[in-house]
Parts: sequence; structure tokens; C-alpha cells
Amino acid sequence: MKNKKKGHNIKDITRGDAVLIEVPVVVLLYSLFRKDMNQSSYLKAVARGLLGLPVGAVVHALGAIVLGAPVGTQYFLRTLNWSLLMSTFTFVPAASVYGSSWVDWHRIFAQTKPIGSIDYMICLPAHGAVIGGWFGAWPMPLDWERTWQEWPICVTYGAIIGYLVGMLASFCSAVFRVSSQHVKGD
Amino acid sequence: MAVTEWWKNTSCGGRRSAFMVFFLVLLLHCIAILLFTSGFLLTRTELPHHSQCSDVSQSPCGLPDRSPQGDHDGVTCWTKPAVDRLVIIVLDALRFDFVAPSTFFEEKKPWMDKLQVLHKFASESESAARIFKAIADPPTTSLQRLKGLTTGGLPTFIDIGNSFGAPAIVEDNLIHQLVQNGKRVVMMGDDTWTQLFPHHFNKSYPYPSFNVKDLDTVDNGCISHLIPTLYDDDWDVLIAHFLGVDHAGHIFGVDSVQMIEKLQQYNEQLEKVVEVLQSQAGRGSLHENTLLLVMGDHGQTINGDHGGGSAEEVDTSIFAMSLRKPSITVPPEFDASSLHLQLDFAATVSALLGIPFPYGSIGRVNPMLYALVAGTWNLEDYDMSSSQSQLKLEEWMHNYAKVLCINSWQVKKYIDVYTASSVIGFSVDDLKHVADMYAQAVNWSDSLHDVASCKDEACRTSFDALKKQIDLYSNFLASVAELARTKFTEFNLRMMGIGFGILLISIFIHVLVIKRVDDITVFPSRETSSVSFGLIVSCTIVTARACSFLSNSYILEEGKMTNFLLASIGMLGLRHSIMTKKMIFEATAFVFLISILRFTIELGLSKPQEVLDFHSWMYVADLMPIVPLIILACLLYKSIACSSCNRLLKFVITGSIFSYILLALHWTLESNLSSMTPLIFDGIKGNFIPRAIYIMGIAQLLSLAVLQFFEEVEISKWGEMAVMKAVAILSVWSSTLMILSGKQGPWIALASVVGGWLISRLKGLEQDNKNATTGLLALYSSPVTQWSLLASCLFFCSGHWFDEFTIIPQAILLTIETYGFSHILPTLGLPILVAYKYSSNEAKQTRQSLIQLFQVYLIYGLIMAVTTTFTVLCVIIQKRHLMVWGLFAPKFVFDVVGLILTDALICVSSVFYFIQT
Repeated sequence: MKNKKKGHNIKDITRGDAVLIEVPVVVLLYSLFRKDMNQSSYLKAVARGLLGLPVGAVVHALGAIVLGAPVGTQYFLRTLNWSLLMSTFTFVPAASVYGSSWVDWHRIFAQTKPIGSIDYMICLPAHGAVIGGWFGAWPMPLDWERTWQEWPICVTYGAIIGYLVGMLASFCSAVFRVSSQHVKGD
Repeated sequence: MAVTEWWKNTSCGGRRSAFMVFFLVLLLHCIAILLFTSGFLLTRTELPHHSQCSDVSQSPCGLPDRSPQGDHDGVTCWTKPAVDRLVIIVLDALRFDFVAPSTFFEEKKPWMDKLQVLHKFASESESAARIFKAIADPPTTSLQRLKGLTTGGLPTFIDIGNSFGAPAIVEDNLIHQLVQNGKRVVMMGDDTWTQLFPHHFNKSYPYPSFNVKDLDTVDNGCISHLIPTLYDDDWDVLIAHFLGVDHAGHIFGVDSVQMIEKLQQYNEQLEKVVEVLQSQAGRGSLHENTLLLVMGDHGQTINGDHGGGSAEEVDTSIFAMSLRKPSITVPPEFDASSLHLQLDFAATVSALLGIPFPYGSIGRVNPMLYALVAGTWNLEDYDMSSSQSQLKLEEWMHNYAKVLCINSWQVKKYIDVYTASSVIGFSVDDLKHVADMYAQAVNWSDSLHDVASCKDEACRTSFDALKKQIDLYSNFLASVAELARTKFTEFNLRMMGIGFGILLISIFIHVLVIKRVDDITVFPSRETSSVSFGLIVSCTIVTARACSFLSNSYILEEGKMTNFLLASIGMLGLRHSIMTKKMIFEATAFVFLISILRFTIELGLSKPQEVLDFHSWMYVADLMPIVPLIILACLLYKSIACSSCNRLLKFVITGSIFSYILLALHWTLESNLSSMTPLIFDGIKGNFIPRAIYIMGIAQLLSLAVLQFFEEVEISKWGEMAVMKAVAILSVWSSTLMILSGKQGPWIALASVVGGWLISRLKGLEQDNKNATTGLLALYSSPVTQWSLLASCLFFCSGHWFDEFTIIPQAILLTIETYGFSHILPTLGLPILVAYKYSSNEAKQTRQSLIQLFQVYLIYGLIMAVTTTFTVLCVIIQKRHLMVWGLFAPKFVFDVVGLILTDALICVSSVFYFIQT
């Protein structure tokens, strides 16, 4: 019973409500911390973030399909919603903050070498979301026949948990860095 | 430790030392697997005893009644015969939904309701015909099922003792009893019957069942003999075994035009059979008292596969029709008991024909089938009045109780003798429980005999008492069957434990040697990190894959699972290549290849659908496989054109190109285009070209072996030589493989070539990056893992599944076909991974790469061994699982054979590729 209800809620999330709420929050928030503060305006950063949304969605959808996400018309909407959510977790913040700076993208996503607090705030949750999603796919083949085993519900679960853990970690690292800097300053 | 000591003293990478190590591993694996298998795949002991007519005097059931009419021959054996003649029509791989009306199922599928004639008679109220659902016991292969049907036992996964070589059944069985008791048996159709019963049939018309692509030979043979034989009076039991549905399923799947055509053909034939039987059913005619049984030996999945224990495979059907009208209807309590009709078949048919039950039968006389037929005694005073039918019912129950009494006595006797004569019998508790149940039933029957003479008011109680009696016997028989199901495959846990322990030790040795080699090759002076990101990822992936075998869900989805892991590692590789900004194209191509494989795996699970209507499309579809063939041939040509190596090797590769041409010619002739080709080619149609290709393959292999003896390789040229040798031996295998795996073959071969090339290229990425700082293990773990995952994916791409894998391969070709793309080619092709782009001519470098090759083979063997060990562990844990025979055992056998094959191939490769340094 409990599971069913949960599954239902999650289905709602994947239906796109979450994306609708999440996107403005993420875009508006991260755009405040745009990297090239002097060159581009706040609005430009917001626009970059919104542009990053579909691009990231395409990348995530392709990745999911390579990994074995089901393909078909009945899955199209679900995959779309899921990939939009994933894009919100990963691409949108990065697009808002870094814009089209390939060097920064490369540093964050390929080399995983974050430098400042903002880098951590982007890098850790994004990796957390992807790794969480990867682990979230594992229960899918089991024959428990629960509603939440369907694509992409448990993957979304995993991604959200991973994202939250990443958030927490980046927050901790930020606090740690700030305190250590204080110590240095003293 | 001795191994490492010995290791220090030998030059590693040398031919002899490499061979010794691999041979040791092979030996260890063989011993472990032999021990484990002997504990796991135990079979029941086959008893040599045969039932005799006179045995029945020892039973507590009293002698059978004399025939009341007295006009029968008067001699009854165990039971009173209820039918004189029996027509058994076996339709191979008859799914339950072929027979049952479509209203029975949620959704009407195109293949349902095709056997209308059975529906017609089953629904007619005045005819004595019924459709039963019958559940077969896995393994659901024809041979095992026929054995189970005729012996009334439970053939185990491997019937050691008689399945190797001559499959003739030695155990007591229905056909033996028929012959023993003077019944004349006629057989037509599948020649498996004549293999099982070589000397039993009065007349037989066997047709070869080997060629799966042949839908009609067996069926047409059956049809041409069936109707004429029905008019003859020189037989008592007729067996006709049709194979078309099975073959149509194997080739085209259930949802195909061919399948529906076959079913319609059967419908026509069955209609004719019933017509003939009914026309001869009058009093004193040939078929006055004949029983017609139309039955499947097992079901099949939508793809036409069978062998396992899934519902689609075990659900089949029996249609029974008595040519006499039934006089009673059986009380509905007996309805539920029609489930294990296949196990009950031998006992029921024996009871109906009045012959002794086969000695090892543990089935019970099925009440429905028995009522349908045996309720037809004393037809003369047939009356509809209720008291009469009540009396009849009671008489029937009396008879049935008596039959069950004999049945229970026979089963009890078998259990007792089995326990006495077999090393691993039943446990004492279970035996006691069963014996108690039997004693209870017999005691009840004794008390029943006292009130046997039923007067008017006593009848009611007698009716209830009879019912209780029948229930008691039924319970006893059901519990024996249950006991036998769980116990006839008694595992020897000690043997299994020892085997598993040796397997673990072998893995330990494997790891030790790998570590050792790693230590040797790392120069102590430089700063080294023996652990790399790639190594961690590979370990994780291999462990994850191995652990996933502990659950049946993951085994069922193994194709997707493997692909998921391969895609994960591929994507990490892509990330890595983006990180280093090198070989991005190769990494992307690799990910793209994986996604193609992914869709192929999903499509591969469904058989090729009907060809499109457009003719032009048909030609294109027919000729499509030739495109990758041409590409492969070009690659081969390029490889011999631009190298300066041994002439013999070049000759062998040229032979492969010639094989490809033959293959293309073969497919063109087989296709719809053949009408356009000139008549000259008619002579080489059919089996000529495949045979030519096999012979050429063998000749090429032999010449490679000869080359091995006469050739002296300069150490400096080893790299180039190894690649050429690998290309040569792969090309030799590929032509045979492609003709075996059909038109998808070239595509898969192309995919494996592209995949192998990409992995070799991507290896360079890591090599350039860390050559100086990492050990061999860290360097090669990731590519080798990818290699083995890719191999496993290719297995699933070629449309394989464990279920269809038969335990004793009919021919060596089947083994090659099954393991070709997933074990033979990848193992033999591994040197390419090491020697690819090998340019240095220094002897020292050669030495280095020999060690590398040695290490690569070690890692590859380790991955296989770990995977298999987990499968073995899974079998240990799940040995009482519902699907153990349906899923885990085939998977176990597949993996174990794969492991031994890989080990053996690694040994061969160590001789073939390594040189003495």
C-alpha cells in the first residue's frame, strides 16, 4: 500500500510537475552566481540556463537509451520528463553559471576538478544525480512487479537521492572550506 | 606458494611456462566442475525390473474382476481393459492455447482457435471428448518428454547412463509393456521414437527429425500413412508423431503464417482421422472401442523455444475422445486433478488398456481421462434415470478405487525397491510419512470391503466411503509424486562443496599469478601505482555482473544486464577520452556500437518476422547480409596485402575470402532471386556449399597447425606475426560460424570486428597516458573487461537463449554455433588487443608484449572463472528453487562448458601464439 502510494507520487513527479517547479528555482538561483559576472547580465544567464535545459535533456535521453531505457511511443513522454529532470540537475546549473565556457565544462564534468564553492555546488550534485540514477536502474529487472519498478520511476528516485546527497556533500565542503579559510585568516 | 616459487625460476611469457600455467588452471577447473557436477546433476537410478502380469497377486487389492460379459478373452491382467485400440497423435510443441478455445484467454491471438475440430467434439454434449490441460515436467525437450511419458517417471536433466550414444530406453516403459502383453504397436513420424524403442514396433515409418528447417517431411510422411493405417486391423496401438509445429516455431516463431498454416493442416488431418474412426465405430467394427488421444509433448514460447520450465513451455494439452458414448459424468471434485497428466499418462494408458503399469511409474490413473473412457462399460443398459446414473457412478467409483488401489500398490512397491537398491534413496522421514498414508488408505479399503455388499440405505454411506477411499489413494499418490519431484534429484552437498572449494582455490591461484606477473613487469625504480581508476571500475563491473547471477530475474535479463554494464564502461571510456581530448571519435563509435547491440539484443529475442510484401524489398532483405560479407572480405584482403609475412598464412586467409564468396553465392541461391540465376548453379544448391565450407575450414585449421610445427618466428617480428595469425585463425572460424548462424552472422561478425578494433584502439588511450606509471594489470583490466562483456553481448545478439541450449549437443556444429561468437572468436582474438599497432622491432619489446599477452589471457580467464564461480554459487543457493531445472541448471551448464572451452582455447592459444624466448 505504502509503496503504491509512493509510486504514484513519483509518477506525478516524473509527469513534469517537479521539472516545472525545479527549473525556475535552479535557473534563477544559479544565474545569480554566473561566472562571467562582468560580461553578461543576469537575464543572459537565465536564458543560457533555459537553453541548457533541452540540450542536457537530449544528452541524458541518449545516454539512457544506450544504457537500455525502453524505446517506444508509450515511453516517449516519460523519457522526456525524466531527461528534463536530469538536465535540471546537471546541465542547467552549469549552463547558467559557466555559459559556453568549454574549459569550465571540461574541468567540472570530465576531469572532476572543482575549485571554488560554486564549482562544488555544481559538480557534486550533478555527479550524485548521475551515479544515483545508475544505481536506481538496478532494481528494474527484478520480478517483484511493483509499480515503482517501471521506467523511469526508480531511476528518478536514485537520481533525486544522489542529487540530495551531492547537495549535502557540497554544502559540507563549502562550510568546511569557509571554516578552514577562517582558520587560515586568523 | 610452490607455484610462485616455480614461477620465479621460469621465464614468463615463454611458450612452455605459459602453457603450463594455463593447463594447470584448466585442470583445476575440470576437476572442480566434475566434482560439483557429480553432486549437482545427479540422476535417479534406473531400476532394471519390469512389471509382470502375475505381480498383481501380491497386491492387497484382490484379483481383478472377471469380465462380466465373458465375451472378451476373459483374461485380465492388472486392470480390466476399457479400450481395445488406441490412437495416439503427438503434435510436437503443442501449446495449450493452440488447443484451448480462445475464450479461455484474455486476448485472442492469431494462432488460437485453429484446431476447430477439437473444439467441436469437446463441446458436443453427446460425444465423449474432452480437452485437458497437461503440465509437462521440465526439461521440456522431446526426448526427455517422450521418456517421461512412456516410463511414467521424471527424467532428470541429464540421464547419465543411456543418453550418451544410444538413447534407447532400458527402463520399464509403456511400449515395452504393450509389446510384452501382445499388443501390436505401429509408429509413424519423428524418428526419435525408433531411437528410443528400436525393437518394439510392429511397423514403423520413421522420418528424420534432425533438419529443423524442414517443416513438412515428417508431417507428410505421417499423413500419407495415417489414414490408410486406420483402416487396417493389424495393430492395437498407433502412434503418429507430427513435428511441423515444433519446427515452424523454431524457425519462424509462433506468430507466423507458417505456424498458422501448419495448424490448419493439422485441423484438416484430425478431421479426417475422426471421420474415419467414426465411420468405423459401429458395433463389431474396427473402431468400436477405440480411444483417440491428441496430445503435445511440451509447449513452446512465442519464439518457438523450449527446454526450460516456464509456463509457456510446460503447458500443453491432451485431447481425448472415446468412440463410445460416456454413461456417467464424474463428480466435479475430480476436476482439479487433471494437472500433471503427463506424469500420469503411462499409468492411465496402462490402466485403460489393461496392461501392467511400467515398473518405475509414479503417476496415478487420472480420474478425468479414466472416467471419460472407462465409464463406457455396459453400454446396453444405458438409462438416464437418476437412480440408475447414481448406481453407475458408484460402480464407476468402485472400479476406479480398485484401479487406484493397484496403482498405489505399484508405486509403493517401486518406492520401496528404489530405496533398497539405490545409494541415495528417500529420506527416512519422508518414507515413513508416505508409508503411513499408504497404510491408512489400505486399512480404509479393508474396512470398506466389509460393507461392500451395498443394500439400499447403506448405499449412501458406501458412496461417501468410496469417495474417502479414492481421496486417500489420491493423496498418497500425490504426495509420492511430490516427494519424487523434490527428491529424485538429491544433491550431494559434500561433492558440491568440494568442487566449489577447488574452484575458489583456482581463482586464488589465478589472482596470485596475475599479481606475480604484475610485480615482475613493474620496474621497481620508477614510481608506480598498481591501482588505477580503470582497474577499480573493471573490478566493480565484473563483481556486479557476477553477483547479478544470484537472482533469477537478472539471469533472465542477462542480455540487457550485460549491455547495461558494457554501456556504463563505454561511457566512462568516452568521458576519459574527452578528459584527455584524444580518440573521442573511437569512444563515441564504441558507445554507438553498444547502442546498436542493445537494439539487436531486443530484436534478437523475436524471430525474423514475415518478409515485407514488396518484392523489391524482399530482394534487398535477402541480399543485405552480403554487404557485411564484402566488407569483411575487403578487410581480410587489406590485411594480407599490406603485410609481409608467411606465405602459408596468406594462403589460409585467401581461403577464407574464397569461403566468403561461396557463402554469398549460397545465400543468393537460397533467396528468392534463385529463379533468376542461371541453371548451372542448380547442381550446387542445398548442402553442397555448407559442406564445402566446413571442409575448407578444417583444412585451413590443419594447415595452421602444420605451420606451427615448421615455422620459426624471429623474436623481433613476433607482433606482426601474432596479429596475422590471429586474423588467420579468426577468419577460418568466421566462415563456418557465419554459415551456422544464418544471415545475421555477417552482421555480428562485423560488429565483433569493429568492437574489437575499437577496444584495441581505446586501449592505446590509456597506454599513452600511463604507460610509465602503471602496472600491466591496471592497464589491461579495463580493455579485457570490455572485451569479455562485448563477447557476452554478442552471444545474446545472435538470438541465443539458455533455454534452447540442449545439454548433449546433437552435433559438434551446434556447440560451435552456440559458443562461436561469445567464446571461440574472442578468446582466439585476444592477441590483437596486445599486438595491435605493434611497430617496435626490438627483441626486448617483444618479450615485454609476450608478458602482456600472458597477463591478458590470465585476466580474461579470471573474469570467466569469477563469473562461472558465481553461477555455481547461485546454483548452490538456489538448488531448491522452482526454476532450478528450468533456468539455473541450463545457465550452469552453459557457463561451465563455456569456462572449460575458454580454458582449453587459452591453452591452445598459448601454444599457438607464444614463442620460446
